[in-house]
Amino acid sequence: MKAVVITGASSGIGFEIARLLSKNYFVIGIGRNENNCAHAKELIYSENPGAKIEYFIADLVQQKEVNRVAYEIQTYLENNDILELYGLINNAGCVRSWYTTSEEGYEQQFALNHLAGFLLTYRLLPLIIKAKGRIIMTGSQSHKGIKICWDDIMLRKRYNPLTAYKQSKLCNILFAKGLNDRFTSAGIRAYVVDPGLVRTDIGNKQAGFLVNLIWSIRKKYGVSPEIPAKTYEFLLETNPAPKGLYYCSCNEKTYSRQVTSENADRLFLLSEKLSGISYDRLEC
Amino acid sequence: MNVMITGASGGLGRVMVAECAERGYNLFITDINQAGLLSLKQGLERQFKVCVAAKACDLTKAESVDELMSFIDMHGIRFDMLINVAGIDYEGGFLSIDREKIIKIIALNNEATLRITHDILLRRRPGKRFTLIFVSSLASLYPMPLKATYAASKRFLLDFALALRHELKNKDVSVLTLCPGGLVTTKEAIRGISAQGFWGNATTNSLEIVARKTIGYALQGKSLYIPGLLNKILSLLGRLIPRSWAAALIYLRWSKAQVKWLR
Ligand SMILES: NC(=O)c1ccc[n+]([C@@H]2O[C@H](COP(=O)([O-])OP(=O)(O)OC[C@H]3O[C@@H](n4cnc5c(N)ncnc54)[C@H](OP(=O)(O)O)[C@@H]3O)[C@@H](O)[C@H]2O)c1
Repeated sequence: MKAVVITGASSGIGFEIARLLSKNYFVIGIGRNENNCAHAKELIYSENPGAKIEYFIADLVQQKEVNRVAYEIQTYLENNDILELYGLINNAGCVRSWYTTSEEGYEQQFALNHLAGFLLTYRLLPLIIKAKGRIIMTGSQSHKGIKICWDDIMLRKRYNPLTAYKQSKLCNILFAKGLNDRFTSAGIRAYVVDPGLVRTDIGNKQAGFLVNLIWSIRKKYGVSPEIPAKTYEFLLETNPAPKGLYYCSCNEKTYSRQVTSENADRLFLLSEKLSGISYDRLEC
Repeated sequence: MNVMITGASGGLGRVMVAECAERGYNLFITDINQAGLLSLKQGLERQFKVCVAAKACDLTKAESVDELMSFIDMHGIRFDMLINVAGIDYEGGFLSIDREKIIKIIALNNEATLRITHDILLRRRPGKRFTLIFVSSLASLYPMPLKATYAASKRFLLDFALALRHELKNKDVSVLTLCPGGLVTTKEAIRGISAQGFWGNATTNSLEIVARKTIGYALQGKSLYIPGLLNKILSLLGRLIPRSWAAALIYLRWSKAQVKWLR
């Protein structure tokens, strides 16, 4: 049975992906809250008692936690004689109303929505390459219409929570592009899924009065998270591997013109520096 | 510029530190939790070209501060600025919090602040101007039922800072007191702000702006910084109406918000 890691698998889109994939895969979910994870696991088991699913707890905003959970997952896979990882879905994400930081002093939307996936992928990449596997980021249509603010990537000088969110979603595509530029030859592929507007509680968690209010209204128009989950399954199962980069409802979609190899390289360098790693030195 | 920051790895501490690093200052960061300090030091060195020293210290223990000072003296470090960020509060009315927790508020917010301020002033860089920053709170401006100890401890800092400013004026020391409203520093803080609904949101100040202006005003020699127009108005009202009325009003508002918050 192929193994897949899904971050943010305790609720929303990530949970639906876990639920769908647990029919055919060994699913390893990551969430930040023990109760939410236990509840999610219970729900999946109640529908499918034979499901293979395990949850790991980590606050992925903090880099130290990303490193810890990556190590725990590696050990867990080894102990279960699973020698490769077929899929990694970097889905955990957040919305903030104010400038808030991680323990390292990194802006939280950037830290969780982009850096966490960047670092987790690095830690698990040797296992993914062994499986000639696939890496999928949860992006968003909102990545369009903006540029990366290179000289102040945390946007500390002029913080706007929405810009920070959009920028983090642009980072998702740049990261996927950078991965493909570097590792397609090693047999892996990276994708970004635009889930569309989805009815989840993302804007009601740790957000202020206004964001909370707006999201409560907006999400009513969203689709059920089961809908986007299918696109992840499609990207994992279609053979040969789909050639595109950005998908919505199982179809390729156009993305921002900011997504160039040059910008991807620049983001790679910066993210490597901020995470204290180097993809070039990875031993696969 | 060599800057010492206490409470550096907390929410406000982290942005203050980033603001100083952005300005190219050398940093000495301290906090009670060693792991948080090391993550922060690493994050700073990866983002900015600055020199960062970090050492954990329990400021409420004299021996721990003595140890910190020997470390500083051993390395011959001298300072141009001290930012006193370390401080705590425990939610709940006077009788619903453990006795020792109540005492701890005073031990950290007041005693420890005096201890480190005294020691660092004695270690200022000779012949240079010194800038001293205290983090008080909007809560210092009136007596606050349900936050009685905390508000009084912040009042202590405000009065102390204003007095010390004059005492040290001819020694080329400038003293600024920051009195922010709500700050989005922790998950709990966000919960608290949300529980107060519109008013919570309206009195909340953006961390990164507060940090930038605090350092800016301190360098200009200002004595008091209350961020945000609404907070300035509230502080003015607090001065105009009798203190016992202010206390009664605040009790009304807070008792409602707390019921919602603790639910
Ligand atoms: N909803 C939409 O319309 C929409 C549109 C475009 C893109 N997206 C993207 O979709 C992704 C998932 O969002 P969603 O709408 O499904 O939101 P959600 O329901 O809030 O799910 C987010 C997931 O991430 C977890 N998480 C949050 N903070 C974390 C942390 N610090 N460490 C580890 N895990 C953490 C959450 O855990 P808990 O269960 O404990 O909260 C939850 O499992 C995000 O990347 C988002 O940007 C959503």
